[in-house]
Amino acid sequence: MRNLSSLKKEFLRKWIKGLRKYNSQKKNMNLLERKKAIKLSADLAMASTKDKTTLWRKALFANTSTKIDDEQDMSTTSSTPQKKVIRKNSTNSYPLRKRITGRRKILRRNHTKERVEASFIAMRLVKKRTRKLKSLLPGGKFMDDSCLVDETLDYIESLKAQVEVMRCLVTSSELFINQP
Amino acid sequence: MLHCLNTSSNLVGGGNISDMTVLERQRARIKFQNEHQQFSGNGFSSSHQQQFMMLGCDSALGEIVTNSMKPDPDYENGFDEETVKKRKTDNKVDLNSKDKRIKVCVEEGESKIVEQRKGQKNTKFNNGNKNKRENCEDSNSKENSKGSEIQNQKPDYIHVRARRGQATDSHSLAERVRREKISERMKYLQDLVPGCNKIAGKAGMLDEIINYVQSLQRQVEFLSMKLAAVNPRLDFNIDELFAKEVFTQNFPTTGIPSEMTNPAYLQFNSAQQLVSCCGGLINNMGIIPPEIGLCRNINAPTSASLPEIFLDSSIFTHILPSSTWEGMVEASNMKMEM
Repeated sequence: MRNLSSLKKEFLRKWIKGLRKYNSQKKNMNLLERKKAIKLSADLAMASTKDKTTLWRKALFANTSTKIDDEQDMSTTSSTPQKKVIRKNSTNSYPLRKRITGRRKILRRNHTKERVEASFIAMRLVKKRTRKLKSLLPGGKFMDDSCLVDETLDYIESLKAQVEVMRCLVTSSELFINQP
Repeated sequence: MLHCLNTSSNLVGGGNISDMTVLERQRARIKFQNEHQQFSGNGFSSSHQQQFMMLGCDSALGEIVTNSMKPDPDYENGFDEETVKKRKTDNKVDLNSKDKRIKVCVEEGESKIVEQRKGQKNTKFNNGNKNKRENCEDSNSKENSKGSEIQNQKPDYIHVRARRGQATDSHSLAERVRREKISERMKYLQDLVPGCNKIAGKAGMLDEIINYVQSLQRQVEFLSMKLAAVNPRLDFNIDELFAKEVFTQNFPTTGIPSEMTNPAYLQFNSAQQLVSCCGGLINNMGIIPPEIGLCRNINAPTSASLPEIFLDSSIFTHILPSSTWEGMVEASNMKMEM
């Protein structure tokens, strides 16, 4: 693990900073809001560690910024119809997804001859799985195959670091509660 | 020597028809040089003698000999257009019996021809591909030094040797380079994702990778939920936290992180021990023997994530037996189980 601990330290620092900022903004958040705040600041912190040039980090930045905007919109009590419209457009589009699946169905109907040889089956499996992996990774739909593998490497590493840091924080804060 | 010359010229000239292209003439010239040099050399192995005998015999017999020997694909693909068998056997026989210096000359001559042919098709060059190309060649011939030489001369192209029996147009070559890049990266992923060492093949490995990423993401969700529950006010006082020995163990200055919850993991092997152990573990959490921070990797994260979640939730019910909290825990458990 090439400098995992430094990654963790950086992540922790940025995360705590983000959380403090959040805390200063809103008081008395309920559980779900707190969870969302934690998750968002963790995402932001993860996205800003190491070199910020990888594709998934940029996509993560974009996603979290839209989510934060959404949350700020929702927190303001007076949500004008304009804001509602904006919120609808920003959420990842249900009608768009329908259009895409419709196109896929049409394609499949024309695809009459289904080859049964092993190589074709393997190819189909691999394609299906790369599609799934692309959906998992932030910003994955814009990557080609070789890029995808690189990005998943980086992403897995950062996710591991994030999980370890969070787990450590949880246990230590539990202890803190136990023995104040 | 004259005998050999005659046979070689017969094979080349007789085998082929009127067109002696520049290629063939060059090859014949080189062959002649090689044979000449071999005769003048001292170390005649028995194999050399054998092959010269073969040259004297039928070309068919020579074919049999060369087919049983290791095929040299580099030669093959330089001349893929001419598929006359006799010429092939000739080249194979000659190549396999050379010492390195001579082989280098032949290869150079041939590869220069190859470069001329492929000169028009501009493939992009990547310096990092040098190793790959050498690996390609390694399996077939032993010309690593030669490969790097060529690359130093012409740094603008990717040099890829097409192996025996494979197409040589630029599209398939470029595709092969791309495929090799991807498989190399997958090897790195194999090291990163635990449990991938036994799986060969892209589909299975991709499956494992997907499972691992999903489990990691779910863990993050769950942990953030837990954190939100533990801290009613979202104030993480780092100084006080660092005062706890537990925290500093995870972020040591030496740079060797030790897993905090390793004692929990160590007890994981049998599910029955879970509930009984967690009680004792929590009491001992503050006093963690340093040797435990050893076992680094979780062997099966996909299967371990679910039992870990159960363990964590059971710890929580032990600490904070409040009704609302238990409701939360149940809800998150249900979510994870999905």
